[in-house]
Amino acid sequence: MEKKTFGLQVMSTNGIFYNDRASEIILPCIDGEYAILAEHEELVLAIYDGKMTIRDAIGDKIIAIVGRGSCQVANNRVIVLVDTCEKPEDIDRHRAQRALERAEEEMRQNKSIREYYTAQAAMARALSRLKNSSDYGID
Amino acid sequence: MANIKEIRDRIGSVRDTMKITNAMYMISSNKLRKAKKQLAETEPYFYALQAMIARVTRHLPEGTEDVFLETRDDIPYASRAKGYLILTSDKGLAGSFNHNVLKAAEEHIQKNNTLKNYKLYVVGEHGRHYLQRQGFDIDESFRYTAQNPNLDRSRDITSIIIDDFRNHVIDEAYVVYTTMKNSISCEVQCKKILPLDIIQEARDRFMPIDTYNEEFLFEPSAEAIIDNIVPNFINGFIYGALVETFCSEQNSRMMAMDNANKNANEMIGQLTKEYNRQRQAAITQEITEVASGAKAMRRAKAAKMKKKAALNENTRS
Repeated sequence: MEKKTFGLQVMSTNGIFYNDRASEIILPCIDGEYAILAEHEELVLAIYDGKMTIRDAIGDKIIAIVGRGSCQVANNRVIVLVDTCEKPEDIDRHRAQRALERAEEEMRQNKSIREYYTAQAAMARALSRLKNSSDYGID
Repeated sequence: MANIKEIRDRIGSVRDTMKITNAMYMISSNKLRKAKKQLAETEPYFYALQAMIARVTRHLPEGTEDVFLETRDDIPYASRAKGYLILTSDKGLAGSFNHNVLKAAEEHIQKNNTLKNYKLYVVGEHGRHYLQRQGFDIDESFRYTAQNPNLDRSRDITSIIIDDFRNHVIDEAYVVYTTMKNSISCEVQCKKILPLDIIQEARDRFMPIDTYNEEFLFEPSAEAIIDNIVPNFINGFIYGALVETFCSEQNSRMMAMDNANKNANEMIGQLTKEYNRQRQAAITQEITEVASGAKAMRRAKAAKMKKKAALNENTRS
């Protein structure tokens, strides 16, 4: 059976990640994951650090680790705009580990509120990158 | 007039300087290419983000309150505390690049402020030194380099500015930076980033009552979405400005170095001419000396002979 599809664009500061038809996209939200299928109602969604899963038109799975951003659904077209978007195999685990340690250190120093939040955000980023890349046996 | 050795030394030193300027030209063109590529990659994201913000603000439900939707119109314009993010370079040798940015920033500060309520976030050593000398009040803890702009740095800068905006340290934020109009000329820009103009425009737009307007569902809430995308947008903007500035700096340096090379070539040409002239003069002089010496010798010899002949004549008679 022909799958219903929608137009999907995923963009990040590193460029366009995906620009094609897709049959499903699962996005990380603040309280869990949100899946969008074809002909979804009009929606704007806030995206948080985590794992994004795309099923393309023939049903192949594409996984990416995303940063904060947002997603807009209108007229059977989905636009995802995120800070960062990487395939798990592209993640440099050493770099992520270093970032995590740095963030932990900064949080312990307990400076200003802003610095605390910055460190917290950096930590969330690093953790999500570490966690999701380890799911794929990349170490 | 300089002697030959002096001129030769001078040519040597100009050549050495030219080697340096040539190398700097090459390095700059390389860096420029890299930075431009980086910028081109971020552009689609940035434009999409802009469209998204406009769309979201158009569809915001009534009564949404968020720090990024505040306009602070209640404070008179001149006494609103303004934050300026001024992007300069770390190094000089880039023609009038830094000068232009700093002049524009100074003008804006002097014109639009009561000269008390401003805060400067300066990127780049050059600008920091200059503004400090001019007696401006600079945020000392704000220390970022203009070299190799990356997202991490722009994220840091963004969070500092947004935090100050949230805490009412500043009521408006501007970015003063340089863009490349084309490969020859650069242009200084002064753009307001907070509160966002595009939000303002989208809100002010006249909306006929019965036009079709899609209803959007906001998940988890409109505020959360605004909170998520506006910092991203500002981050994108600042990143773009950082990269543009970096490109312009490299470009200005390329131009400056190109000019230096041209001047050096001209100078070498002139010095070589001078050198040849001097050398020729020296040779001519030497020849003249030898020739006149020989002539003098000959004349002396002839005189001697004549004298001898005269003496012989005398003794004979």
